[in-house]
Amino acid sequence: MKRRTFIRCVGCTAAAASILEPRLVPEYLRGFENACAFDFTKGLSSVEAKYYKKLEGGGIECGICPRHCRVTDLERGYCGTRENRADTYYTLIYGLPCALNIDPIEKKPLYHYYPGTKALSLATAGCNVNCKFCQNWEISQSRPEQTDNLDISPKAMIDIAEKRKVPHIAYTYSEPVIFYEYMSDIARLGHEKGVKSVMITGGYIEKEPLAELMPHLDAIKVDLKSIREDYYRDIVGGELKPVLDALIQIREAGMWLELVYLVVPTLNDTEAEFTELAGWIKTYLGPDVPLHFSRFYPQYLLKNLPPTPTKTLEKAHEICKAEGLNYVYLGNLPGHRAESTYCPGCGQVLIERRGYRIYRYELDGNRCKNCNREIPGLF
Amino acid sequence: MGKNYLSAKSKYVYNKYMSKVVVVKYINSASPESLTKVQYGQLLSAGIRSVAGAKDINAAVRGLIPDGVVGMKVNCLARKANSTPVKLVEAMTQILTDAGRDDNDIVVWERTSREMKMAGFPLNAASSGCRFMGTDANAVGYSDDIYTSGEVNSRVSSILTDVVDSNINLALLKDHSIAGLSAGLKNMYGAIHNPNKYHDNNCDPFCADVSMLEPLRSKNRLTIIDAVRVQYDGGPGFVSQYIHNYGGLIISADPVAADRIGLEILERIRKRHEMRPLREVGRQVTYLDTAAKRGLGVADMSAIALEVINVNAGGRLSAGELI
Ligand code: SF4
Repeated sequence: MKRRTFIRCVGCTAAAASILEPRLVPEYLRGFENACAFDFTKGLSSVEAKYYKKLEGGGIECGICPRHCRVTDLERGYCGTRENRADTYYTLIYGLPCALNIDPIEKKPLYHYYPGTKALSLATAGCNVNCKFCQNWEISQSRPEQTDNLDISPKAMIDIAEKRKVPHIAYTYSEPVIFYEYMSDIARLGHEKGVKSVMITGGYIEKEPLAELMPHLDAIKVDLKSIREDYYRDIVGGELKPVLDALIQIREAGMWLELVYLVVPTLNDTEAEFTELAGWIKTYLGPDVPLHFSRFYPQYLLKNLPPTPTKTLEKAHEICKAEGLNYVYLGNLPGHRAESTYCPGCGQVLIERRGYRIYRYELDGNRCKNCNREIPGLF
Repeated sequence: MGKNYLSAKSKYVYNKYMSKVVVVKYINSASPESLTKVQYGQLLSAGIRSVAGAKDINAAVRGLIPDGVVGMKVNCLARKANSTPVKLVEAMTQILTDAGRDDNDIVVWERTSREMKMAGFPLNAASSGCRFMGTDANAVGYSDDIYTSGEVNSRVSSILTDVVDSNINLALLKDHSIAGLSAGLKNMYGAIHNPNKYHDNNCDPFCADVSMLEPLRSKNRLTIIDAVRVQYDGGPGFVSQYIHNYGGLIISADPVAADRIGLEILERIRKRHEMRPLREVGRQVTYLDTAAKRGLGVADMSAIALEVINVNAGGRLSAGELI
């Protein structure tokens, strides 16, 4: 649009700003009461945030994630979704998802959690880190004013899942830790109605909020982005230690857990790192936690790097299997044999996958049909 | 001294390698809490003429602001109590239109229309007249491209990238709970989509890097910092017990030098109120030196040609003191 035209058009379109745009509402939501495009003239949500404390001398400190943002009046925390108003802290995104889809559970990826089922998947704007490789940066690195939001209460969300017969809700795409209050309320209500919840997260969350949340969840997938602190500092904009602590906490709570490690060429792809990673997982989480190596594609701030070579991913797979991890997968490589699940006892293919589709299923309950070995997970 | 004050020989050594900053103060019997449009107009006229080295305000505007659409980035974070005053914007708009600018070619802008409205600005995203609009006004938004400079990677308001040819940074002098100083450079956080990511380490180097982003660097032609009422502690929100009526504007074509003088004023006001220097309360302002190292402007006081002008109720000018 030419600048002059742009200036003129601003006048015409501004008049329409308060009209809800039906194009923003996905087809499968039409007709649902309380699920509509968000009307920005109402302002963002003002639900009081959890886990913050008022500071002496003014300001608050947020305790949801290890950043512990100290925020003065009218300012926001690092995630851009929480705002201090006269020393009361508010979440601005409660009930305002900017992405909503029905996805195969394999897309999360969760391979040992009700394979072949679907999850109503949602995200809001914002994130508590800033990964240079983020594939959803257009929502994760935005503030809620900058995204097209829907207006869906927790009750309406469960209603949609029930009516569409989707058994799970997935909090995903951006970082659910930053929409903690919204996620908790949906998950709690979901359990009352028999709808399960899975959190897809970077695991950068404080101990107490995680402990309060877990009873309302059914599985967690954590992106363990590296096993090195400097990578977290330079590439992720976060810290490794709190993520490792959260992983141990999740495992100790008995929550179903799977891990993803995105292999970024030249940044976290050495054999030493794969060995260290496998060793840490085996020691602290056990050999049965599934580990998915995922292929990197250039995007966001890492457009200068090539996609991960297949042989690097295969090397990672080989090293982790040799180190004693039982379930190691390769992702973003459709058709590769390492997308499928094999019995560690007899080697039989248990779940044959291509992309997100399942072509063969050889489990009886949670046991290998061939050798009767118990396979960990929820099947 | 009368009308010819500006043509009088400056008592400061000033050469082309120094950055000029003008502090222009309204002198009245009582410290003014707020100024009228006319009073702001007097300050702006004296200050802009001095910065441009021109006797005539229209010539000064022509010298400083290139032809085309002019943006004025205001700071509306803290509602009416502590935002860029509407009267200042009205006075600057008047100066631009008197200098021959079409009011269709003036865009007063901020991050969101809501913040502007709460700061008392009349919104106008219509097709004629001076526009008052947030980046979130319909069909505006942020650049598709991510602009990168140093540690900052951001989308930039399309008002700045696509609509205006040049920009006047109409900031406010305030203490800031993290950055220490909120003035011109900090105001430009409102031009990017992800300012929340850039508050670590007292906003250093981020404050410098944001203003180094193209097109911010090339389009920002003039910095005007309102220091009529200075929030010398407890900022950037409004805390009434820490307001000092300074009654001045800081004006410069060098964004770093303008902020450097702003910091000097802020620290002297804090001292007068028996408050500790910012570095002693963990809010050291290191981003100005970083900005100077990046080549954005001058942060060294000895390389800044500072001129302080007093304007009295009759509009007469005289040499003044910083504080
Ligand atoms: S949840 Fe957001 S506001 Fe709270 S500590 Fe984390 S980044 Fe900061």
